[in-house]
Amino acid sequence: MTLTRKLPAAERGGRSAARLARPAQTATSAPRTMDRRAFLKRSGMTAGAGAFASALPFSMVGRAEASTASAAGAKVEVKRTVCTHCSVGCAIDAEVVNGVWVGQEPVFDSPINMGAHCAKGASIREHGHGEHRLRYPMKLVDGKWVRMSWDDALNEVSARLLKLREESGPDSVYWIGSSKHNNEQAYLLRKFVSMWGTNNCDHQARICHSTTVAGVANTWGYGAMTNSYNDMQNSKAIFFMGSNAAEAHPVSLLHILHAKENGAKIIVADPRFTRTAAKADHFVRIRSGSDIAILYGVLRHIFENGWEDKKYIEDRVYGMDKIRDEAMKWTADKVEEVSGVPDDQVKLIAETMAKNKPSTVVWCMGQTQHTTGNAIVRMMCNLQLALGNVGVAGGGTNIFRGHDNVQGATDVGPNPDSLPGYYGIATGSWKHWANVWGVDYEWLKGRYASQALMEKSGITVSRWIDGVTEKNELIDQDPNLRAVVFWGHAPNSQTRGKDMLEAMKALDTLVVIDPYPSATAAMAASARKDGVYLLPAATQFETEGSCTASNRSIQWREKVIEPLWESKPDHTIMYLFAQKFGFAEQLTKNVKVTNNEPSVEDILREINRGTWTIGYTGQSPERLKIHMRNMQVFDPKTLKAKGGIDKETGYVLDGEYFGLPWPCYGTPEMKHPGSPNLYDTSKHVMDGGGNFRANFGVEKDGASLLAADGSASKGADLQFGYPEFDHVLLKKLGWWEELSEDEKKKAEGKNWKTDPSGGIIRVAMKNHGCHPFGNAKARAVVWNFPDPVPVHREPIFSPRADLVAKYPTHEDKKAFWRLPTLYKSVQDQFANVGKDYPLIMTSGRLVEYEGGGDETRSNPWLAELQQNMFVEINPKAANDRGIRDKDMVWVKSPSGAQIKVQAMVTERVGPDTVFLPFHFAGHWMGKDLIDSYPEGAAPVVRGEAVNTATTYGYDSVTMMQETKTTVCQIMKA
Amino acid sequence: MARMKFICDAERCIECNGCVTACKNEHEVPWGVNRRRVVTINDGVPGERSMSVACMHCSDAPCMAVCPVDCFYRTDEGVVLHDKDLCIGCGYCFYACPFGAPQFPQAGAFGLRGKMDKCTFCAGGPEANSSEEEFRKYGRNRLAEGKLPLCAEVCSTKALLGGDADVLADIYRQRVLTRGKGAEIWGWSTAYGKPDAPAAPAPSAGGKS
Amino acid sequence: MKPLIATACVIALAAGLAGCGEKSQVVVYKQGQYQGKADGKPWDNEAFSGDKGNWETAIKARNQSQNEYRRING
Ligand code: SF4
Repeated sequence: MTLTRKLPAAERGGRSAARLARPAQTATSAPRTMDRRAFLKRSGMTAGAGAFASALPFSMVGRAEASTASAAGAKVEVKRTVCTHCSVGCAIDAEVVNGVWVGQEPVFDSPINMGAHCAKGASIREHGHGEHRLRYPMKLVDGKWVRMSWDDALNEVSARLLKLREESGPDSVYWIGSSKHNNEQAYLLRKFVSMWGTNNCDHQARICHSTTVAGVANTWGYGAMTNSYNDMQNSKAIFFMGSNAAEAHPVSLLHILHAKENGAKIIVADPRFTRTAAKADHFVRIRSGSDIAILYGVLRHIFENGWEDKKYIEDRVYGMDKIRDEAMKWTADKVEEVSGVPDDQVKLIAETMAKNKPSTVVWCMGQTQHTTGNAIVRMMCNLQLALGNVGVAGGGTNIFRGHDNVQGATDVGPNPDSLPGYYGIATGSWKHWANVWGVDYEWLKGRYASQALMEKSGITVSRWIDGVTEKNELIDQDPNLRAVVFWGHAPNSQTRGKDMLEAMKALDTLVVIDPYPSATAAMAASARKDGVYLLPAATQFETEGSCTASNRSIQWREKVIEPLWESKPDHTIMYLFAQKFGFAEQLTKNVKVTNNEPSVEDILREINRGTWTIGYTGQSPERLKIHMRNMQVFDPKTLKAKGGIDKETGYVLDGEYFGLPWPCYGTPEMKHPGSPNLYDTSKHVMDGGGNFRANFGVEKDGASLLAADGSASKGADLQFGYPEFDHVLLKKLGWWEELSEDEKKKAEGKNWKTDPSGGIIRVAMKNHGCHPFGNAKARAVVWNFPDPVPVHREPIFSPRADLVAKYPTHEDKKAFWRLPTLYKSVQDQFANVGKDYPLIMTSGRLVEYEGGGDETRSNPWLAELQQNMFVEINPKAANDRGIRDKDMVWVKSPSGAQIKVQAMVTERVGPDTVFLPFHFAGHWMGKDLIDSYPEGAAPVVRGEAVNTATTYGYDSVTMMQETKTTVCQIMKA
Repeated sequence: MARMKFICDAERCIECNGCVTACKNEHEVPWGVNRRRVVTINDGVPGERSMSVACMHCSDAPCMAVCPVDCFYRTDEGVVLHDKDLCIGCGYCFYACPFGAPQFPQAGAFGLRGKMDKCTFCAGGPEANSSEEEFRKYGRNRLAEGKLPLCAEVCSTKALLGGDADVLADIYRQRVLTRGKGAEIWGWSTAYGKPDAPAAPAPSAGGKS
Repeated sequence: MKPLIATACVIALAAGLAGCGEKSQVVVYKQGQYQGKADGKPWDNEAFSGDKGNWETAIKARNQSQNEYRRING
């Protein structure tokens, strides 16, 4: 084994040299063994124990193999990149010497983080060490990991997949993409999977905010955070429900605490007293999964007191009367019965939000990951619509996304029901993209098993296990899944781990493409002898590309270092596979390929040419790079550039918003500035203003769905509601002649979303100040959803049989995202589950780790801070079970799974609820899987995955998994 | 005359540990040695507050007073540093320090204490500025690069402030005036004595947590 | 503290004599005075060319980056 990053001694020098000089032994020896020191106790300074370190030698003294070379020769290059650990999008300046990442400096100029980082961002340079990385391709042979060459790996894997495609059709392979891919890679993967011939692809958004995307988009147009972290500085009240931003999005608190300092009121409603709650003015403890009941209670107070914004509702909202009727039914005692929240606290929320406007709401997985997630998030929208808070600076629905590029991967990446830009998968959409890709639609169709399957939503990542194990006659595609490719996804973030292991066993082929072998490798090796392949992928610091932060700002990452070990960038791996599969040429028609690496900039330009719907068209690589090097001109409150001329190009930045937050409509030449706050009628559309989208027709049951007269974005020529623009409307308005001859040719017969010239958009926006997607009302009632008016339904596994009887779940569904999906039958079967499993089990975030945690648990600087998987349990529940703080306990699930974790006895949770963090993996029901990882590549810290013990249950629109409310029993181990 | 100090604003600290990993990163401090850590009181209940703690570079440093070999010195900027070549790893400074700052890495196979290690205010130690030797023993010297401690510079909510006492006092005063509360700074009077406290009213009586 | 220091001095001398480090030993010990190597000043380098005032100005300016009010209101 060689240390590929090690530099010849002669090249080292100066202070940096000390960092480069990592003894080969450190890099190649077996993982550090550490004694599992007791929790670094959070509840006090364990200085006595911590001060005398007994675990590892003080290697700083020994580490620097003194180099004699002088510092003079080493040139420090600064590469600007963006943290990959959450959606805040904190900028980082990486210092690189001779290709080695030697330092990192805060970027005070970034309007997003102003230099700030949490534990993850502050330790990001560890990625340049990569000691626990997957180093070269490997396969499982007779239960052991064996190294192989890239050539052999590509040949073997592609031969196996092609054989399955031959035998069972393209739908027999499942592709799990990643929200950690950059936009270009995520987009290329959707294209890649399409050319393979299936819609069976997905990524983390399914299990993070899919209910938000569907619920919110169906309410008013786009399913994204409406405002920004920065804009929260304008808020007078901030209501968190199902978000622990202090741990999940730490740097957002920079803006939020600034707002608080300036008088904003903060309320946190959560089953758990989170660190966010510790910073709030009010904390409201709720029963997990009772959000709808509480929000109706809040709305009842608003309507009873006349606190709603009547003019706003009249002008801009459809169906609020139905919500009002429903809210009136949620009397104080009913709300309390379901949620445990007394009426005065419900009223406090209503009053605070109504009397401190603009007020905003924040939600995350606490609301989305439920069988009723799509309805819960619509209630949050309805609250904001009733208060007239949407489309207002300081208001909006601030939906904090998770991964660094989950927003981007949702927008343009591998979704089973959509092509990039939410175009859907109907014939017209396919033709649009075939055109952009420069391929023949008929050829593309021929890649699929049939046109029907080409236009049918694929299986979701939350359910791939059932795609493998479900009876063939019950699934809505010909073959069962026979191979799964985990391309940047952790298995322990999906529920029903116990069932997953069975599915892994049943697969023909399992492929992991990842910088880390991930828990997938360990799980598979613990259950299989062969048929598993690991391919090392590069991180985002080893390639370049764009990523979309939660606030829709797009940032460009420069490449910091070359790929470590034998890893390759994801888009290169896609190209190599496409070669084996025979569609490399089609995949890269418009993209230059150098040494098997497709040009990232070219891919972005292709995205720019096709993604009109959500305005990913204006963000050319050139514009994004100009923003990255001129961050100082952007205002941290509004994100707007105050003046500013790029030195290199003379480009004028004045008036643009940082990162050209999408929608940034039209061609880059149109110079749309991006949209900081969505649906904001106080601004001109060419200044980032807008209104609600006309996407649901022009009338419903005789009522107009278009905005009322007088309600339109500032300066629009049409000061009333209007439908979306197409060639017919343009002609009717007499604006057609404003197109150039060339634009006319391209726009004929098209609408604003499919006109490849961008002319329709240009004329509507630039010449007439109108919004290309029309001007309509938001829908408080989403009639195409199972519960058009949101309804509280008990979770499938509820400890409250009485409430299950009153608020039952949905009826079972037969073919839903290609699979039978059970609701009522499971709930009935487990109606009395509370007897044996009386505790509500919920899960969440730790600040030190991200997602499935393999990457962050492999970083010793982070791992040292959280060394044990644990369960938070209230002293009452603990005492009743004879459990003391730090005892090992079994958490038992009605699924039959049980996990062994350490008890943390704390009043953070109520007596009826327990909380477990979701970042751990590598232990399986009491056993450490360290021997199942490739040698040296196990994460520093391992533990039980909470999802080994989670249960069945999926959202009735998006197949979001239920993780936040299930049940368990706990006993001393 | 610049006088270097740390302030941690408990109204803002969210226990994100960014300061802790920034320190590990900047100085490549090994596992088990924590020059900085975050301390929480009332964990999990209303009143929960966190503070980031490291060597405070006290005006009248108790560690200096007890060191049997007098390996400590204070720089003109008020940074308390020590000479590792002289340190005998006795641990007295650890017992004297009200902040638990001194750390003792293990040296050798028998668990003998190594030389003391602690926060240097990113000012290195008694070796040539920014030299290989200085980094190896004390970590990076940011002050000599015109920069301030990385922990404070990257603090997620700008709770931890580090730098010139006058500037910090101004920054902190503005916050306290804006929000109208949270004037006490934990540890301030212990480290720097009362008169210096920037926003004056009722500095907490010191002592840990 | 006094007795402690006194004891400590004895230990220190013993340890100093017993040690066989390659570093030069402290020969003359004066209680209460720094006995180690001299340290350089942070401004004694190329960037600040020995100008203390220069360095202090730079540090104060950089210090303001810890003040988000400055950036937000400025
Ligand atoms: S994880 Fe998020 S908050 Fe933390 S540094 Fe990275 S982007 Fe910023």
